[in-house]
Amino acid sequence: MFPGASAPREDAEYVVVGAPLDVSTSFQPGTRFGPDRIRTFAEAFDDYDRRTDRHFSALSVSDHGDVHAWNDVPAYIEYLSGVLRDVVWDDAIPLLLGGEHTVSTAGVRATEPELFVTIDAHLDLRSEYDGDEWSHACITRRVLETAEEAIVVGARTGSEEEWERAAEGDVTVVAPEDASTWLGSTDATERLSGRDVYLSVDIDGTDPGFAPGTGTKEPFGLTPREMREVVRVVAPHAVGFDVVEVNDRDDGQAAALGGKLLREFVHEHANNRT
Amino acid sequence: MVTQQKQVRDLQEGGYVMMDEAACKITHYSTAKPGKHGSAKARVEGKGVFDSKKRSFSQPVDAKIRVPIIERKQGQVISVESDTVAQVMDLDTYETITISTPSDADLSPEDSIEYLEMEGQRKIV
Repeated sequence: MFPGASAPREDAEYVVVGAPLDVSTSFQPGTRFGPDRIRTFAEAFDDYDRRTDRHFSALSVSDHGDVHAWNDVPAYIEYLSGVLRDVVWDDAIPLLLGGEHTVSTAGVRATEPELFVTIDAHLDLRSEYDGDEWSHACITRRVLETAEEAIVVGARTGSEEEWERAAEGDVTVVAPEDASTWLGSTDATERLSGRDVYLSVDIDGTDPGFAPGTGTKEPFGLTPREMREVVRVVAPHAVGFDVVEVNDRDDGQAAALGGKLLREFVHEHANNRT
Repeated sequence: MVTQQKQVRDLQEGGYVMMDEAACKITHYSTAKPGKHGSAKARVEGKGVFDSKKRSFSQPVDAKIRVPIIERKQGQVISVESDTVAQVMDLDTYETITISTPSDADLSPEDSIEYLEMEGQRKIV
């Protein structure tokens, strides 16, 4: 159980769901351990949040546990979407723990947002990778089949084809060095206001020096504080949230950051709800 | 209530199933592959036949579930009382019944219709 996620499922306002999918990871695998790593390294966090003056355990969070993953990715995504749709039908916010980034497709299908905001080192706009359209390298492309628009914060690499796709009107790329400025801009405010937003945190959006426990490390990334700022700005508009691409190849840095960002999301969302 | 028993694995999209004591049409059916320590599970989404409410359940595929027996009948509109209610004659029994009409239905006297009936609940399709 995610520490503090002790609310009964039927009363919960936030529901944690683990999705340990680890099929298409293209370099270092291990995302199957992500959900449990995040739960484990969240154990050390204080329940009390000084900034919002609230206890995490009082915010009505429940942990559904993991949805066991298997190799048929489209079938898994379909099933996972249904589990998350149950959360949405119960008027709760799904909090998905990956797993490879592919699982975000299920979160988006369940919540049907207008706007997909993702923190990610990679554009993930490939139509397919190694012949696989369900690869974690194609996730933003797949999501755009449901959401109208995507904003990729912290992106710093992609293929030529992906950068061409990113130049179209439904994709906005915010470079890591521009993230702080953009967050405070009227452009950010206008794009988020009044819209249903799904926020996906690919932990590789952070500089790998801060979160090495991820499969495809890309230098020159965001700092953890910048990640937190993105989460705080987007959370009040969000209908769903995920942290993905955490693996077990570090000493817990990536998992600790992922768990902390999940808590930050819940605190900020709850603080704006009442 | 007239129902028959089936296993969850025998359900399919477009069929009917009882959920929360309401007859529902199955709109979505997906299964999870069993892990080493669990059994295969199905998740079923449905919409209430008579109340249009969305419902869902997850059960092992070998669990028993009740399926309602819903009759599909032919009728003829006798009169349209309001935007939501019509008098219909059943073409088998010639019985006249009052039936609520869907908001998108544009009925006139003498129109032929099909309706579903279960336990005194009726719905024009």
